[in-house]
Amino acid sequence: MKAFQQNLTKLEGSDTQVLGVSMDSPFSNFAFAQQNGISFPVLGDWGGPVTRRYGLTQKFDIHGVPMETARRATFLIDQSGKIINEQVDDEAVDPTKTVEACERHKLKN
Amino acid sequence: MNRELKRLAGLGLLSFVLVPASSPLLPAQNRSQDNNKKEEPAPLKLKVGDPAPDFTLLAFDGKELKKVSLQDYRGKKNVALAFFVFAFTGG
Repeated sequence: MKAFQQNLTKLEGSDTQVLGVSMDSPFSNFAFAQQNGISFPVLGDWGGPVTRRYGLTQKFDIHGVPMETARRATFLIDQSGKIINEQVDDEAVDPTKTVEACERHKLKN
Repeated sequence: MNRELKRLAGLGLLSFVLVPASSPLLPAQNRSQDNNKKEEPAPLKLKVGDPAPDFTLLAFDGKELKKVSLQDYRGKKNVALAFFVFAFTGG
């Protein structure tokens, strides 16, 4: 998330809105955003319906207690609503590839 | 004698099956080691070129809850949609 904040100017310069999503409540996301200096909206996907629709939920079993969490992933979606780039798991931590994909897309149009 | 042998063999087989099953930590560790070796992440359900599923979620801006929809940006802006694991985790 912080890495996205650091690249926010570049992303916004390529006509891109950054939206964070986590399976927390909108309120804990807001507290998280404030403490980390994040200025883009962090949406609360409480219960994970959207995370599930994007195929990103994974089930864990910790000490026999089932848990469902999200896989880390970044989707770059163009103005027509089409996915033009995706990064998943560890590769989604660093937004460089997403930024590059944004800039390439801007040059094309 | 024969029956005794069968019983022992049965027990032996049973314990062979039971040992790994009764120590869940061991296979779990092996699994995570396998995952670490794997370079390529498991493929995503949604591929480049697919339409991104629409959604409407809530964001809190410190004062009020606001609806944010993917559709709001249609024809206006690209959207970098960053899913992360939980608030207050690294990254």
